[in-house]
Amino acid sequence: MKAKRFFGKLAALTLTVAVTVGCVFGLASCGGKKNVNYAENNTTIKIGVSGPLTGGAAVYGVAVKNSAQLAINEINEKGGLDGILFEFVMTDDEHDPNLVAANYANMLEGGMQISLGTVTTAPGLEFKEFSHDDNVFVLTPSASGDNIPEYDNAFQMCFADSNQGTASAKFFNENYQGKKVGIFFKSDDEYSTGIKDKFLQELSSSFTVEEASFKEQESDFRTQIQTLKDCDVIFMPIYYTPASQFMFQGKNTVKSTAIYYGCDGLDGIDAIDGFDINSITQEVSYLSHFNSGATTGAAAEFIDKYNAAYDEAAEPLNQFGAAAYDCVYAIYEALKVAKAAGKEFSVTTSASDFCDILTEVFAGDFVFKGVTGAPESDGYSRISWTAQGFVNKEAVKYVVKECTAE
Amino acid sequence: MDFIITLVNGLSLGGVYAMIALGYTMVYGIAKLLNFAHGDVIMVSGYAILVFLSFDPILAIICATLFCMLLGIAMERVAYRPLRGASPLAVLITAIGVSYLLQSLAQIIFGAADRYVIVADLGSITLGEVKIDVGTIITLGASLVIMMALSLFVKFTRTGRAMVAVSEDRDAARLMGININRIITITFAIGSALAALAGLFSLFRVPTIMPTYGAMPGIKAFVAAVIGGIGSIPGAMLGGILLGVVECICNSTPLAPYTIAIEFAILIVILLVKPTGILGKKRREKV
Repeated sequence: MKAKRFFGKLAALTLTVAVTVGCVFGLASCGGKKNVNYAENNTTIKIGVSGPLTGGAAVYGVAVKNSAQLAINEINEKGGLDGILFEFVMTDDEHDPNLVAANYANMLEGGMQISLGTVTTAPGLEFKEFSHDDNVFVLTPSASGDNIPEYDNAFQMCFADSNQGTASAKFFNENYQGKKVGIFFKSDDEYSTGIKDKFLQELSSSFTVEEASFKEQESDFRTQIQTLKDCDVIFMPIYYTPASQFMFQGKNTVKSTAIYYGCDGLDGIDAIDGFDINSITQEVSYLSHFNSGATTGAAAEFIDKYNAAYDEAAEPLNQFGAAAYDCVYAIYEALKVAKAAGKEFSVTTSASDFCDILTEVFAGDFVFKGVTGAPESDGYSRISWTAQGFVNKEAVKYVVKECTAE
Repeated sequence: MDFIITLVNGLSLGGVYAMIALGYTMVYGIAKLLNFAHGDVIMVSGYAILVFLSFDPILAIICATLFCMLLGIAMERVAYRPLRGASPLAVLITAIGVSYLLQSLAQIIFGAADRYVIVADLGSITLGEVKIDVGTIITLGASLVIMMALSLFVKFTRTGRAMVAVSEDRDAARLMGININRIITITFAIGSALAALAGLFSLFRVPTIMPTYGAMPGIKAFVAAVIGGIGSIPGAMLGGILLGVVECICNSTPLAPYTIAIEFAILIVILLVKPTGILGKKRREKV
């Protein structure tokens, strides 16, 4: 009886708190911000982003912070945009969607005029609603969900999840004809199933395909390895930790000449503490827009600059950082294009006006030369956007490790 | 051939579950409390092995086992003994608290990311057409030996029989001169040592650990203990092996995405048909 009464009270208390908090936030976000210009007192153009600086995904957020700051510093050192300087602000969302509302409000009310959205997808799904309501421009470096650019104001620098599926299937159709294909994916993860579904849809019907899947909290892949052990190419649209576990557990069982082929989630697989990628014989490669081991072109230049400015070991560079670097420069170049077309703006222009200016450029025939994507002969890639906000650029196949089977 | 491999895998996974389930079941049978932090002892064992591995693998295993035994004893002294006789709900919540405490401590000390712990590279052996990892065979063999030893210990030693006595009627046992506190301490020590070894064997299967990594095997072993009949040592073995085999067989069929659901469905069916579990004894309620 006692317990029942206690839980009753607890439930009532929880409800009261929830309702109160809901009211406060509800009022805060429905206060009719649209016509307020929080940038009136700005002395620079403020670019903001929300991303994980602490917690399990911090390694991505920190790389974004460092790289975006690097780009901003470079631009400002060159004198900015005809004298207009830029400023970068980042708030920590710990990869938790619940913190996005407060982060967004803080940045906007602090004078943010242009945003890089969020670093990861789950918080991005919150951010896109707020930024759409207030008409704030978003160019996200790395929130790759297909729904992120749902509204007109949002664009992606990374490939959308299903885009990676299409690009991978194209690569398989062109390079792996006649091979037996295996897919190892995470069945309760949208990133993984999104890529896998699109991949299967686009893959030529002449392939024989074996599928095996796992779930969050699962790390014993023996049965999945049994299913896939005879495959010639194993497609892994997953993050690097479970991928490394599969490779490690399967090193004696999976065909020694097999090819492990992943997407951008595999970036970093050669830098896991305790996992020696050379202890397996199979080839490991992935399709991505950035190779953090690049030695030529604009990408290599950027990597050198990053490593000169930051501690490589504690805050390593990854594709998230490269994309953020490109985002800042893309916004800078787009503003230049707008200016040349006669658009007027200053450090006190409102976020909403900036959004209209930038959306027009990005949805138009704007082509940006970046460090992410396969480079052309001048060392830079060519990046453009569809009107829906998806990115167009050539992916690079990056071989992390060659096959070493005899 | 594939089926044989799946079966061997399942038996070896079942061996790991059974060892964890044994700890659950002994502690429940003797101290009458559900130690939800039991799964986290596996995690602690993994990190302890990681710390001591730089010296010597064998030493690491011994040190990790001793460390977990001490942890189990400390857990009982600090968290559970003061609550002996308190309402079961209070003890349950304390157990959940201990579990979170251990996970958070591990995260503060070792970080949230996965860590590789490679105890030894044992390779694999080929029997006819079947290729099996040595680690799998060791796990299977060792878990069977340990379970038999435990059964013999409970049946034939003084301490073991005292345990059975405490489990059957605590007050009567005390009147017979059995030191209840000592027996419960020993139970926690044995349970934690089993969890430490289960941690070692799961490193043979999966060489990575993270702070929350004991949670899922812990829950599954609890399910195994309940399926087998909580409080029963052979029941825990049976439940663990059953669950391991079902899991591996399910994973090798198109039912793979529903493996966990199927495991819990088996629990529900067994509880409906036989509420005390397969080998559980029916207890007469005193009125």
